[in-house]
Amino acid sequence: MQLIVNPADELPIYRQIMRQVSEALAVRRLKPGDKLPSHRDLAEQLVVAPLTVKKAYDELEMLGFLETQRGRGTFVCGKLPRVRLADRREQIDVSARKLLSQAYLAGLDFDGVIKILRDAERELTQGLSATSSASTKEKL
Amino acid sequence: MNAVLEFNNIVRAYKRNVPVLNGVTFSVNGGEVVGLLGRNGAGKTTLIRIAMGMLHPDAGSVQVFGVSPTARAVEVKQRIGFVAEDQVLPGASSIGELIAFHRHLFPSWDEQLQRQILHRFSLDCRTRIRMLSKGQARQVALLCAVCHRPELLILDEPAAGLDPAARREFLEVSIQLLNREGTTILFSSHYMNDVERIGGRVILLADGRVRLDSDLDRLRESFCVAMVPRASAQSVEAIRRIPGCVGARLVFENWHGVFHDAPEAVEAQLKKLLGANGIRCVRVPLEELFVELVGREQDREG
Repeated sequence: MQLIVNPADELPIYRQIMRQVSEALAVRRLKPGDKLPSHRDLAEQLVVAPLTVKKAYDELEMLGFLETQRGRGTFVCGKLPRVRLADRREQIDVSARKLLSQAYLAGLDFDGVIKILRDAERELTQGLSATSSASTKEKL
Repeated sequence: MNAVLEFNNIVRAYKRNVPVLNGVTFSVNGGEVVGLLGRNGAGKTTLIRIAMGMLHPDAGSVQVFGVSPTARAVEVKQRIGFVAEDQVLPGASSIGELIAFHRHLFPSWDEQLQRQILHRFSLDCRTRIRMLSKGQARQVALLCAVCHRPELLILDEPAAGLDPAARREFLEVSIQLLNREGTTILFSSHYMNDVERIGGRVILLADGRVRLDSDLDRLRESFCVAMVPRASAQSVEAIRRIPGCVGARLVFENWHGVFHDAPEAVEAQLKKLLGANGIRCVRVPLEELFVELVGREQDREG
């Protein structure tokens, strides 16, 4: 699992970790039963405080995505919680309108937007983070 | 949890009646990582020197591990690791000699950790200190500060003057220590990205006091900056009097106010109060919050 964090992002770092793990779950790059790195290992890898990673794991555990098995580590839950479409429909609609208006203002047509969606899907499945451009900037 | 470090109403002035610290109170618990923020001259180094027992406060008291750092100087220092802002290392000695000196002072010296850090930073024990680059000298200072496995690590501007790669290595070692030992860390820094990476809690010093003391994530999630057109408010005071406002200043043709609430709530509140169009509230990274809270001096006088 490749994660990237960007301290200058609007989201706090633990939220960035949560978002990327749920993205990986959404496209099944992470599957039920997969083992995650320990929060200490991931902290060293990302160079962030161990407690920050712990917090992200804890929250994901509370949401029912991850489970900790004592002495064995942190795993993706065997049965992931079903998110009901009805609960998310409004949010998705808002995002869709926002995406379309931004794209149209930038001079794209509908097919152009579809292409962007396909690219985004490929990035998600291949595990390239959408924040990668921002974090490259931060490293400089 | 036991407090590892406790400041109690610390007052300290260098010039009579011009206190740098004017009643600073906070405590740090075991395992916490605290980023100490503030503008140049806000008193960060003074506070750190008081914690180290290198300066006496004019009033108030400090306790490290529950005892006074001046009364039990040796005992306290053996349990602290410290890197000063302008750490001076003896130029004529070699890295090896400097390490031998520290090993002699600290009974709990960990030779394995020492070897690891030397290897990691690619340092050679035979090199004379004066031949080192600024970044390498900092690395040696860090090595000397951590190899006795301190319970409390105090870093004053550890990253100042380091290039981004050296800064990152410095952070990596700090995080490994955190991981392995659960060391409590107090560090001052102007690099907000570094603070966001390793800090769990931030304390902001301004006007001689603690201006802000908050869990970092909560700070990021529960504060926002409101941008209000200049015409909507008479003065900066009018903005500051609004409930929830913790700081305000004029930026070109807008008032910028920092509010302690979610952006949606603040926006609704401001629209009701000022009835103005063009009010925008956004969550911002720590760096922006810092600038808004301690921005230009003349704006804060008001």
